[in-house]
Amino acid sequence: MTQYDVIIVGAGAGGGVAAGVLAEAGKRVLLLERGPHLTFGEDRHDHLRHQRFSRHGHNAGPEIEGNPRVAVDGQGQARVVRPHEDGYQNNAAVVGGGTRVYGAQAWRFLPQDFCMASLYGVPAGSSLADWPISYEELEPYYERAEWEIGVAGDSAASARHWPRRKGYPLPPLPVNTQGRALRAGASKLGWETLPIPALINTAPYNARPACIQCQYCVGFTCPVEAKNGTHNTLIARALATGRCELVTGARVARIDTDASGHISGVSYFDRGGKRQSARAEVVVCAGGAIETARLLLNSASPQHPGGLGNGHDQVGRHLQGHYYPAAIGLMSEPVYDGLGPGISTATVQFNHGNSDVLGGAMLANEFIVLPAIFWARQLPPDLPRWGLVNKRFMREAYTRVMRVTGPVQEIPSPEARVTLDPSVRDRWGIPVARLSGTTHPETVRTAAYVFGRAREWLEASGAVRVWGQPPGLHLSGGQHQAGTCRMGDDPQTSVVDRWGRVHGHDNLFVTDGSVHVTNGGFNPVLTILALAFRAAEHIAQSW
Amino acid sequence: MLTPPHWNTLRALMDRLIPPDDFPGAWEAGVGDYLARQFERDLRPQLEMYRLGLEALEAEAQASAGIGFAALDIPAQDAVLRRIETGQVTAPWPVDPAGFFRLVTEHVMEGYYSDPGNGGNRDSIAWRMIGFEARE
Repeated sequence: MTQYDVIIVGAGAGGGVAAGVLAEAGKRVLLLERGPHLTFGEDRHDHLRHQRFSRHGHNAGPEIEGNPRVAVDGQGQARVVRPHEDGYQNNAAVVGGGTRVYGAQAWRFLPQDFCMASLYGVPAGSSLADWPISYEELEPYYERAEWEIGVAGDSAASARHWPRRKGYPLPPLPVNTQGRALRAGASKLGWETLPIPALINTAPYNARPACIQCQYCVGFTCPVEAKNGTHNTLIARALATGRCELVTGARVARIDTDASGHISGVSYFDRGGKRQSARAEVVVCAGGAIETARLLLNSASPQHPGGLGNGHDQVGRHLQGHYYPAAIGLMSEPVYDGLGPGISTATVQFNHGNSDVLGGAMLANEFIVLPAIFWARQLPPDLPRWGLVNKRFMREAYTRVMRVTGPVQEIPSPEARVTLDPSVRDRWGIPVARLSGTTHPETVRTAAYVFGRAREWLEASGAVRVWGQPPGLHLSGGQHQAGTCRMGDDPQTSVVDRWGRVHGHDNLFVTDGSVHVTNGGFNPVLTILALAFRAAEHIAQSW
Repeated sequence: MLTPPHWNTLRALMDRLIPPDDFPGAWEAGVGDYLARQFERDLRPQLEMYRLGLEALEAEAQASAGIGFAALDIPAQDAVLRRIETGQVTAPWPVDPAGFFRLVTEHVMEGYYSDPGNGGNRDSIAWRMIGFEARE
């Protein structure tokens, strides 16, 4: 059996960074990924089968058959769901993970996001808590993620909100027609705006070209590799050392422990379905907040009967993603210029300091909306769904509609959780994730407030009509899934310590969104990347 | 499989969901081709629902006017569809009429507005109509 220094489970954002940092530090790394390499062209520009609109399947996995989960609704009704169906809370399962097909917004969390409990108090029934680390401790790693993976942004505008020692390596995305309209509206309201920072090359960088502004960005692979993920940065660097072995199609069944309870490696099913074992000094879990929790729970041993790291029943709790209250406005003039990715302008005016609600969200305009999505999700509620009236609205309004939304920071609940389903198994016979509960109802109030600001912004920007509806109480996770192995100093109320090390184990780490105590009012990927740089550096120095 | 009479009804139905004007209706834009492909893959499990729903739609037209749906004039076709959309039917329906109507509407719109690679939206005609640029 091969002995490695480190085994990493999951080649997404957090696992990819860990692989790069550890392989370059001289470690012998085994990187296991359940999905395949996805090359451009394989995912086609199929408007009905991608990560944003999975009506009839996905372009980035996991495979539709053989990978079920169980979703429990608000009435306690459980149903088996497939990866492209509602309630699955899917994230991409390919090399690069979500970074292969994401929209690539590159936000730092704000300093206040690390101390939500201190700022707002803890509502009854919520598990809201402060992080054990501050923004200042993470800042150097945000910088590292921005420079090593590649972020385009407006350094001066960013510095007005985030203390930062260094600017962005790339100039911001160009302002588009929607951005100009929204800037004018914000100016009337006295709101400050900034360009959306993105993990996209606005100029050649890291030996890859600049963005060609195609209309397919979020949900798809980039045709020219101008979108920066771990697949074309840290994983590529790891492989270039010759010390990282990447195995795709590997479904990890459990983390193995020896007779004394010490972590010794992992067991997995290879592409051919054969069970394999690998041994290492250190195991890093980075399968995303749902699969990492599932793996820890599936790795029970005589010393850890409830699963690894789960001595205090914390693994899998506090599952959170983001609520997205979206206001949709019909403008008097076209605001579509066909220049991708389409995201342009944001405000962070309403992330904190809102009267009577906890936290808030960044608000921004939307990616270019594919026509089939526009029909399914963006039509006024009173418009007939068929006939000439519908066709004429599509024809007259597609280029005149603008959507403003943003990720509302969820107020976590311990009842929003991942457990193991007692009966449903995946293709390999492994118990699957069962998702139940909802986030805390305070999130609904914050989302309603944020919706009001989105509406106000569209109206000030010249919308002749605005529609949309803030979300009701639900469980979210999806591509922003987080929170199930939260970071903390107290093993009774957290799963990992401030370095991402699982309490009670010296050689088991988590480097994905699972460790987020709260998930910010922002797309979380830059924080996942930064935390992974920090954890991997710590592992490299400790072994 | 759907029979020619099923297709005859389906063709008339889709052309009321997306009627022709100075841009093609659903059938001319290739939505029939989209559905034919989908019935062999993703919509295979729903083929029986289509068959039963299209037959019930025919029965509904016969019950109201004594002729088939495709032979009705446009206002009469739309009147039948509005009844089905709201579940106010007179013929016996083995499937939920409103659910059938909603699903067929969604599938027809998918075929019309998605990429031509899926079989519909011939020559990107729907995209040219609404102004979505198809630069690759």
